[in-house]
Amino acid sequence: MNKSSGPHEENNRAIEELLSNARDLRWTVGDDIHDQLLKNIYEQAADISDKVVRHDGKKRYDWDQKLDRFLTGRWTGLPMMLILLSLVFWITIVGSNYPSAMLSGLLIDSLHPLLKNFFSGFLPAWMSGLLIDGMYLTSAWVVAVMLPPMAIFFPLFTLLEDFGYLPRIAFNLDGLFRKAGAHGKQALTMTMGYGCNAAGVVATRIIDSPRERLIAIITNNFSLCNGRWPTQILIASLFIGAVAPPALSGIVAAGAVIAVALLGIFFTFITSWGLSKTILRGEASAFSLELPPYRPPRFWQTLYTSLIDRTAIVLWRAVIFAMPAGAVIWLISNITVGDLSLAEWFIRALDPLGGLVGLNGVILLAFIVAIPANEIVIPSILMLTVLSLNLHGMGTGAGVLFEPDSLNSYMQLFHQANWTLLTAVNLMLFSLLHNPCSTTIYTIYKETGSWKWTMVSTFLPLALGFIVIFFVTQWARIAF
Amino acid sequence: MNPILLLIDGTLILILLALIFWPEKGIWARIREARVRRQRILLEDTLKQLYDHEYYQKPVSIASLAGALNLSQEKTTRALQSLAQLKLAVFSGGQWHLTAEGRGYALRILRIHRLWERYLADETGVSEAEWHRRAEKREHDLTMDEADRLSETLGYPVYDPHGDPIPNRFGELPPKSGRPLTAAQPGTHTTIVHLEDEPAILFEQLSAEGLYPGMAVTVLENNDERVVIKGEGKKITLAPVVAANITIPVEEAKEAEEAEKEPFLTLADVREGEAAEVIGISPQCRGMQRRRLMDLGILPGSVITRELESMGGDPVAYNVRGALIALRRDQARLIRVKIKKEHHEPQL
Amino acid sequence: MNPNCESCAVHNSNHLRRLGLDMGSFDYMVALAGNPNTGKSTVFNALTGLKQHTGNWPGKTVTRAEGGFAYGDKRFKLVDLPGTYSLLSTSVDEEVARDFILFGRPDVTVIVADATRLERNLNLTLQILKITRRAVLALNLIDEARRHGVSIDDRALSRELGIPVVPMAARQGDGVDALLKMIHEVATGSYVCRPRQVKNKNRKLERAVQKLVEQIHALYPVLPNADWLALRLLEGDERIIGAFRNGTISELTRGEALQTPAVEKVYE
Repeated sequence: MNKSSGPHEENNRAIEELLSNARDLRWTVGDDIHDQLLKNIYEQAADISDKVVRHDGKKRYDWDQKLDRFLTGRWTGLPMMLILLSLVFWITIVGSNYPSAMLSGLLIDSLHPLLKNFFSGFLPAWMSGLLIDGMYLTSAWVVAVMLPPMAIFFPLFTLLEDFGYLPRIAFNLDGLFRKAGAHGKQALTMTMGYGCNAAGVVATRIIDSPRERLIAIITNNFSLCNGRWPTQILIASLFIGAVAPPALSGIVAAGAVIAVALLGIFFTFITSWGLSKTILRGEASAFSLELPPYRPPRFWQTLYTSLIDRTAIVLWRAVIFAMPAGAVIWLISNITVGDLSLAEWFIRALDPLGGLVGLNGVILLAFIVAIPANEIVIPSILMLTVLSLNLHGMGTGAGVLFEPDSLNSYMQLFHQANWTLLTAVNLMLFSLLHNPCSTTIYTIYKETGSWKWTMVSTFLPLALGFIVIFFVTQWARIAF
Repeated sequence: MNPILLLIDGTLILILLALIFWPEKGIWARIREARVRRQRILLEDTLKQLYDHEYYQKPVSIASLAGALNLSQEKTTRALQSLAQLKLAVFSGGQWHLTAEGRGYALRILRIHRLWERYLADETGVSEAEWHRRAEKREHDLTMDEADRLSETLGYPVYDPHGDPIPNRFGELPPKSGRPLTAAQPGTHTTIVHLEDEPAILFEQLSAEGLYPGMAVTVLENNDERVVIKGEGKKITLAPVVAANITIPVEEAKEAEEAEKEPFLTLADVREGEAAEVIGISPQCRGMQRRRLMDLGILPGSVITRELESMGGDPVAYNVRGALIALRRDQARLIRVKIKKEHHEPQL
Repeated sequence: MNPNCESCAVHNSNHLRRLGLDMGSFDYMVALAGNPNTGKSTVFNALTGLKQHTGNWPGKTVTRAEGGFAYGDKRFKLVDLPGTYSLLSTSVDEEVARDFILFGRPDVTVIVADATRLERNLNLTLQILKITRRAVLALNLIDEARRHGVSIDDRALSRELGIPVVPMAARQGDGVDALLKMIHEVATGSYVCRPRQVKNKNRKLERAVQKLVEQIHALYPVLPNADWLALRLLEGDERIIGAFRNGTISELTRGEALQTPAVEKVYE
């Protein structure tokens, strides 16, 4: 359409006139347009539905109402929630032990030497080191450590979700969220965060009030995500489970993981409360949530979708991030400045801080390397530990992984690196309380559009983490 | 000292210095910028106070201005002189006055302030006591265009949540009308049109009693010791100092409003197994909250039964038009209902 | 995975080819709207063969998903909109849904409703019918309704609403074929919808709307949803005001004269 500027301006004037007319008319119709419109629509809806809907009037046994009285009841709700979640963790921990050992046997013990021999035949030593000892091994470790717990945990969690249980969690916990000055739907975004914090942050869009939405965004990191569950599960089974008699070790390990998850919920409440008393002052606004009817999930389809949708995607992401991280670890362990490798310099620089908070330089460096993805924390710790042990004269090449053949060998490795129960506990705590991964940080920036809140969400958990493990460590050192 | 460690430490110190002294973005630059801003805020606040004195026809003195601004008299005088230099205020007839330009400026700030209060009240969960304080800060940040857009988003409101009129974009404001509640005879049926938001302590007391602009009340007692009013089925006793901060219209309502005449229950009073029919949603519930409740099917005529209680008894899930809806008690209290006479068996 | 369960939809609908995410080109665009928890995502998956995860909680789909399918000789692009209770509350998800139906101009809007609680679902349905003329109501979960002893006269409902109504049980794949047929018919224009319009009962409101509609029609003579737009202007809807200012509204008139039979307009 070719409009000259004359008619175009006239058009604009007409539009502005229309808009100002609308403004004026607004005052003739009263303040409750919205009420009237909806009342009108609902009346007609009721009209139509009266005409077309027939009810046979028979009473039926309503299993979902009975179930709801039990699962969401005033007294049974919270215990049932804990029992359900414990069951999920217990199945995951007990179920993933064996496949984990098998995978690491296959990918690391058998395949790695094969590949190494094959590639060193025609590649220069540094190239095969970078590719096989760096990139391949880290990725293999990610798969061996993460795949089994994920393949069990996600389908179970998805079954609960499809069944309609998540909104009930929100319903159960809303009383606490209200006292913390937060929105009840934060329980929903919190449970989404158990899958992935970035997804949890996006899900906060369901919260209308900007104040409560910010609180939900900032505290979402206290939900253990995909990348952190395996860390918790592995360390809990290795260290905490080992303290208990063998028959109970699975249950004790599951208990430890639940304790950390509950601690995360506790920090969610405390932080929400603190925020709504300080920089995000205000009272809890509304909470209106539909509790959808229970729908029996379609078991096989849920299994299939959660394997494809969640497990595969998350694993893929982990591998993608593990490869460059593996390369970086290999490089910093093999580039030497002075008489030590770069990695060793970093570890030495971080060791005093690590010692102060009951961790060590290796773990802190691993958390820095793993900023792109929490999934690679454990593989990075393993590689860097091997490296630092090598330098104490225990192995052959720097940055080449020690090759544990089962979970017990991980244990031996950690013992050689002077890990104690306290180190394990601190690692579990720090894994819960540290900065979000870079994807989540970016998502927070996109959702809030503000550097200020992005920084708060990044550094608040980190600061909390350091404070908590510092006090735990100092207390433990005095007490034991 | 180890050279590599020194290198790392040095880098960190460099980054720290950059953070402080970076032009425009650094901490130092921000502090300097803030000083300029503080000056503007001071002048704008002074303008607002001058306007306030003019609107309520209070005599302007340096002492009264300094008191309202919480400043020393010396600083207040300096601020007034700056305003005079900018031709926003003049000293004549022994008193400070706003110039036409200054009045326009003050009204613009007032418009932003009240729009922002309305926004906080309607769309966010910020508590009532916070509205004023936050708007005090925000009024200096928004541009006129942003204010216009905000007004559009809110559906062109004419009153702020305290019942004060919001100046329109041309700075027009209705003349002050109404009288304090303390001027009403016992037996008067009336509607609250305004709650004064300053001082904050008195306002907190008013909002804690559940009073809000638009609420229909009847004056039961009015003497030097206390003012007793009845509204929404409850009796409220106020000290005369507090009651003086409530404004009611000059003319009296002929009859008590329906909502006030007939005592009603709220959804929070409904017991398990009882069915209640919705009469309406309290005007105290507004903005997004109100729209959400209606979206979920809570409208006059809807029949609601109480179904599930969560831990601690709050929130409660209600059956609303076939769906299970969880609501907090604070919200249920805003939904006015009457109990249906015929007893409904909970659906099995 | 159980192949029977997965393919029963294909079993019934021999004309359907699911295209998943492959939609290089398409003939018609179909929007999928509805309340939360009505099985919208299940319908989406049944049509496209995608495995979008279907969580059972309100507000789960915050962004929109897209997929495609072919039926007969036509290719359809399907856009899954966030589940909403209403289009009037101006929250993020509602804006996404509303803007798509209004400005995305889908050829057909499929409204998924829960048969067990039809009345509350009709609220959204009636609101959608105010802004689009071409819609199909997918009456999902009809099996559950039957289990609860609820029966719905879908023909009468179709007459009341002025759009086709398809009873379905998307989880079992029942009714997918009928839905495809109706989407095809409405898209190609062999079924002409006459959507029911909710009338305002309030005099003052109606008068204000009339005034604005006159003004809007003077500007854009063939604008199909002028009275809905007028109402939005009265409520001070930022997006709609913006759309008037930047000229997006005039795009709504594109091709409208061809699509709406002129006779119908006159006799309404």
